[in-house]
This record gives sequence, structure tokens and C-alpha cells, in this order.
Amino acid sequence: MNLRVLACCALAGLAAPASAHALLDHAKPGAGAVLHAPPASVTLLFSDDLDPESTVAVVDGSGHSVATGRVTVAGNCIMAPLRPLRPGKYRVVWHAVSMDDHRTQGAYEFAVKP
Amino acid sequence: MPLLSNGAARGAALIFAAGIAAPGQAHGVIGQRFFPATITTDDPFAADELALPTVSWFDHETSVDFDYSKTILPGFAIEVGMGHVSVHEPGEPRARGFDNLEISPSVEVYRSPAHEFILTTGLEWEVGGTGSRSVAERSSTYTPTVKFGKGFGDLPDSLKYLRPLAVTGTVGYSIPGGGDEPKSIEWGGAIQYSLLYLQNNVRDEGLGRFVSHLTPLVEFAFSSPTRSGAGRTTGTINPGVIWSGQRVQLAAEAMIPVNRASGHGTGFIAQLHFYIDDLFPHSLGRPIFGGRQ
Repeated sequence: MNLRVLACCALAGLAAPASAHALLDHAKPGAGAVLHAPPASVTLLFSDDLDPESTVAVVDGSGHSVATGRVTVAGNCIMAPLRPLRPGKYRVVWHAVSMDDHRTQGAYEFAVKP
Repeated sequence: MPLLSNGAARGAALIFAAGIAAPGQAHGVIGQRFFPATITTDDPFAADELALPTVSWFDHETSVDFDYSKTILPGFAIEVGMGHVSVHEPGEPRARGFDNLEISPSVEVYRSPAHEFILTTGLEWEVGGTGSRSVAERSSTYTPTVKFGKGFGDLPDSLKYLRPLAVTGTVGYSIPGGGDEPKSIEWGGAIQYSLLYLQNNVRDEGLGRFVSHLTPLVEFAFSSPTRSGAGRTTGTINPGVIWSGQRVQLAAEAMIPVNRASGHGTGFIAQLHFYIDDLFPHSLGRPIFGGRQ
């Protein structure tokens, strides 16, 4: 075994069909957003496809859920429909499970202005 | 010239092959925090990862290294490393060859996802006599080490722009196995600011995919002899940046000596790093025994 063999083993992996940790790629509304119109939903896009076990919760300043209906997981996207939001701060908490069962999590806040 | 001795090569091959067994665990993730693998500060995670190569130029020395870490159990990994060194001191003939093999088992002893904190202990064993006589020591060195990582995502709202900050650190007691070589404290760390954490957890600044995956950082690595008269503390301070992708990362840092005894001039170090658990999630990227944590 030599350095070249090790390098080939590693580089071959770049082309291998593999799943990976699902990292948050884009969120709407995004972290720290200040909105003048309340959003109808929270949508999170990840770097990899998700297992249906993935979840997102949206809560108000008192910790009460403001989601309505079912959270949907499709491909690399999680979407949570929201009831009409009053002005205030809201917190999004997500747990992502990639197709190979790697788990990641995150949380952020956004605000709705009067 | 073979990179590894026959025994070491067989060991490495066994470690590679045995990885085709059980589920693996996340590299560098604790709570909401992702710690990229730093170059000179060994990160505190027992993970499946490969650094190939790490290239450095500093103080008349050029080296090309590789390090492979394999999880045996969830939270327990063994790292194997070796490198090629070329030294050309002014007025002296060039010396080159392979450095000694290093074997480093490590165990994660405490994890706090809520506080983005991890504590790991380990042993670094430089196996004397496995490298070239021209550049490598003939005797072994043993360094029991404690490593930690702490993210600051638990800071209050008033300090939210400091939440992307994280630190990692290592402290080891280096015990040479032969002769009257002095013992020393090997210590270092990294202060890093994750733009990905800023973007996803604090404020979406619209940084774009490439920039948001950058982590500016400063590493430092020092060696302090414990015996009086054995010399002074030496080391470097290394400012740089890491780009972390989905399956690989790239890191580049300057190396600035802290004093004259540490070297002359500014050096450079760079590393290509592979996340084996993401590249091979169903085989090499899993611990040999046990399930995912």
C-alpha cells in the first residue's frame, strides 16, 4: 500500500453514490429576517434528500406552536404551513435526518413587524 | 520507497477493510455546531476522516503528510499518520525521508449538544524507528492528550453575533521513550468563526453558497519543555481559512513563528480533507462495532 493507492481510494469516493449530512442550504424566511407581511409557511431546503422522520417546529414568544396542518417532507425540502401570524418574534427549530440516518439540527428566529 | 512498513501497511489495510460493517457517526457535529477539521489542532471528534495531503513549508522544512482516522466503536477512533519530510538547513546537506508512523487512539468522554461542548482524551504514539534514519527519531514518544471543542451558540441574544464563534484546544504531555530527551507540554488550539452558523442560526446575510461555507480561523501550536534549561516555548500562530463542503474540505493557513527559537520567516500549510462517513456512509464511514450514537 502506498500514498497513491490511499489517494485513489479517497478520490474514488467522490464519485461514489453516497448520502451525507443534510446541511441547511436555504431557509424562507431566513434567520434573523424582519418581515412586514406574515409568511404563510416556513420552508427549509437542505443539501441532501431527507428522511420523512425530519421535522420542523415554529413557535411564538410563549413557546406555542404556530404551525397549522401537516409538516411535509419531500426530497430535500421541509415545509410547515403557518396560521396567520401576529407581530412578534418566532423561533424555527428543525431536525434533519438524511437518507443514511445522519442527523443534524438547528434553530433560528425571525420577526413579524406590525 | 514504501510509505509504510509491511506491518503498518497490513494494519492500515485491515482498518480500511474492517470498516465495512456497521453504522457510523457524525463527523464534527455536536448540537447545532459543525466543527471543521483543523490542520494543526487535532479536532476532538472520534470520526472517520482522511487528511490527504497536508502540505507545509516552514523554516527550511517541507513536509507532505497523511492521516487516516477510523472509528472502531461510536466515540472511539484510531488515527494513523505518516509523512515525508525534507529539511535543508543553510550550510548543511539536505536530509529527506519518511517520518515516524504515528498511531493515536482517542475516546470521546463527554458530549453536551445543548452547549456545543465535547471533551476527548487520547494517546499519541510516535513509533520510533519506523521512519527514515535521516529525519526520524529512533525512539518512540508517547503523548497522553486531552482535547476539547466549545461552540458559543448558547450566548444570549445581546451577543448573538458571537454565537458563530467556537474554540478547540489540545493539551498533551509528551514523554520521549529514549535517552535524556526532555519531556514537554504540547498545547494548542483554534479560534474559529463559522459563517455557516452565522447564516443558518443567527442572521441570513445572503452570503451565497461558497462564502457561507468558509470558516476564518486562527490556530496556534506550542511546545513547552518541562525541564529548566531545556529551551524555551516554541510554536507558531496560524491564521487562515477553511472551506467545508459536503464531503471534502480545504484549509490553508500561514505559519508565523512566535519567537526566533521557533523558526525564521512565515510558512504556509494547506490540507485537503475527506469526510469518510459522508463519502462511504454504508461501509468505511461506519464504526466497525456498534451503532450510531
